Amino acid sequence: MRPTIILTLLLLLVLTSCNRTVEPTPRQLTLAIVSGVEGDALKQAAADYGSQFGIHINIAQFPYANLFEKELIDLKSRTGAYDLIMLDDPWFPRFANEHLLTELTPLLRGSGLASPDTDFVETSLALCRHPYESGPLYALPYVGNSQLFFYRKDLFEKYSLKPPASWTDALTAVKTIHENEKAGANGGQVYGYVMRAAQGNAAVADFMPIFWAFGGEMFDAGGKPTVNSPAGIAALEFMVELGKYSPPGYASFNADDVGAHLLQGTAAMSINWPAWISSFNDASKSKVVGKMEFTTLPAAQKQGQAEIGNWLIAIPRDSHNAQLAVEFLIWATSAEQMKRSAQRGNPPTRKSLFQDPELLQKYPAYPAQLRSLESSRPRPRTPQWNEIENAFGIFLSKANSGTLSPAEAMNQANAEIEKILQRAR
Amino acid sequence: MPKSRRFFNAHGKREWLLPVLFIAPAIAVLLSLSIYPLIYSLTVSLQEETAAGVTWSLGNFARLLTDDFFRTALGHTLVYATAALTCEFLLGLGLALLLNKQIRGRSVFRASLLVPMMLPTVVVGVVWRLLLHSNFGALNGTLKQFGINTETLTWTASPRLAMLSVIAVDVWQWTPFVFLVLLAGLQAIPQEPYEAALIDGSSRWQTFRHVTLPLLKPSILIVLLLRTMDLLRVFDQIFILTEGGPGFATETISLYIYRTAFRFFDFGYAAAMSFVLLALTNVISVIYIKFLQAKETA
Repeated sequence: MRPTIILTLLLLLVLTSCNRTVEPTPRQLTLAIVSGVEGDALKQAAADYGSQFGIHINIAQFPYANLFEKELIDLKSRTGAYDLIMLDDPWFPRFANEHLLTELTPLLRGSGLASPDTDFVETSLALCRHPYESGPLYALPYVGNSQLFFYRKDLFEKYSLKPPASWTDALTAVKTIHENEKAGANGGQVYGYVMRAAQGNAAVADFMPIFWAFGGEMFDAGGKPTVNSPAGIAALEFMVELGKYSPPGYASFNADDVGAHLLQGTAAMSINWPAWISSFNDASKSKVVGKMEFTTLPAAQKQGQAEIGNWLIAIPRDSHNAQLAVEFLIWATSAEQMKRSAQRGNPPTRKSLFQDPELLQKYPAYPAQLRSLESSRPRPRTPQWNEIENAFGIFLSKANSGTLSPAEAMNQANAEIEKILQRAR
Repeated sequence: MPKSRRFFNAHGKREWLLPVLFIAPAIAVLLSLSIYPLIYSLTVSLQEETAAGVTWSLGNFARLLTDDFFRTALGHTLVYATAALTCEFLLGLGLALLLNKQIRGRSVFRASLLVPMMLPTVVVGVVWRLLLHSNFGALNGTLKQFGINTETLTWTASPRLAMLSVIAVDVWQWTPFVFLVLLAGLQAIPQEPYEAALIDGSSRWQTFRHVTLPLLKPSILIVLLLRTMDLLRVFDQIFILTEGGPGFATETISLYIYRTAFRFFDFGYAAAMSFVLLALTNVISVIYIKFLQAKETA
């Protein structure tokens, strides 16, 4: 009799302790952010918000590719695990197209705002609308990244070079520095240029500005892929040419590798994002403090256009705390909070902050950044972008590693993109 | 039913309940975690999402025939599996034969040889990625010290050397497993056949070929089978070391399936590819078993 009673009591204990509810406890938000410099600012802002308003914010931080997967899977399976998500702007059309995000305008109105204010940079805010520029608003921009052309001003002064206005000038500068800096500050070769050409997002992001400057277009007016136009092939040939003066193995480089070379002073020029500026001037990480200068992207046949790469914050449609989430969103994207974030190194998305005197003192490159942001171009806003970027990136990487010639790579890439679009129809 | 009643002792209907209750949890787990997902996966692979909704079709399997990426990935997987298996087997067998003798410090050698196998594959991938980095890695650093020019030795970033590098990492990690199984097999062989061979005046090579190898056959079969199944499915190391690059040079089937499922969200196509991989593994396993068993009876 006794053993049976004890067993029954134990069983009851076990069963009652397994009491998990699907509804999260109130006054709590879960935020999915990207790991690395772009996500750190939002992470710190969330910590500030939590201590100021007593709301606990759970942070789920993932590397770039994993973040995309986790967000897509969670939103599609409608679990409501995340209340706020960070989206890289090329992902946005996919999420918005499948109706996974909450429309923000009604929520903003509910919190007393008629619409997102006009202080946001137009190009950044346009990314948050689906369809692009004209549709309803589904996100707010937070990290105002658009590419800049970085160069070592000390080496430029040494060889009396001017900041490059065109890609031809840039190549001349690259060759000059590469040939003359065989034994640089660290005793090794200083490479004229460094870029990332790992297949996928890395290669495509670094290639687009060159592609656009040479007059290439991914799609024609009818939506057919045209990457293998003469302009496109010329652009890839130029990229491979630049690759000759890049560190070996650049065909597999990601953002970290490029960052490492720039911070170590072993490469003189690169396309990169403003979020790295604070790292370059951080003495604990950088050997080139005060030596990196930036300018807008060089031109070729066409005016240099930076690629915009903003990180947006959106609220999933199935979040259980939409109202609480939008309050955090309004707070985080307010001018005051964005200024604090900017002081921590986050590029803002508000025009007033780019002209703020205090911030200008710390970041004299802000005028260049604002010019870059306002004249930047987004990558094609298609829901198939992930597949297209993957395929395009593979061929760019093959051309840069010498497996295919630029013409072959572009032709094959074009055929593959055509296949992807066919499947989507 | 009548049999069990007789076995346990006729005490009413309750007797079959107890064994069923014991195995019920195991069956539930098997059904829910193995059988149901397998059937679901098959269902998903036979469906296609079109503008009109979800329809049943063989489209996903048909797409396999025209997909160059799939064919290339399959080719890479087979090259990887063959090369890695050959190296692991030969090295493992050699080490097992060497350490089968009574030499001093044998246990130390054996223990240290087992270390790579005990590390998680992800950790192995990360560590080797750092070691093989073309500019900041220890391998190229050491080679530079010896005066070797490492400009073209970019290992995981070189289209020529990337496949070699990932194979080398796999061999480093899994040769100990082959060694372990073959050593156990060697130790199970009795001494009599060897004594008989010695009396018959057979040379070392003849002894090895006609005594050791046939008696080692079961162990060889097991180790080849297990390694082949693992190698065909390889994912972790390649994902960490090269992510399939540079330019698709090291992309294997598992990586392609992963990308299709989780980056492009095309689960139907990914499921179809998974079934092809399953079929391939099955066929190869059956061939192994038939081949090695047939020789035994001959």
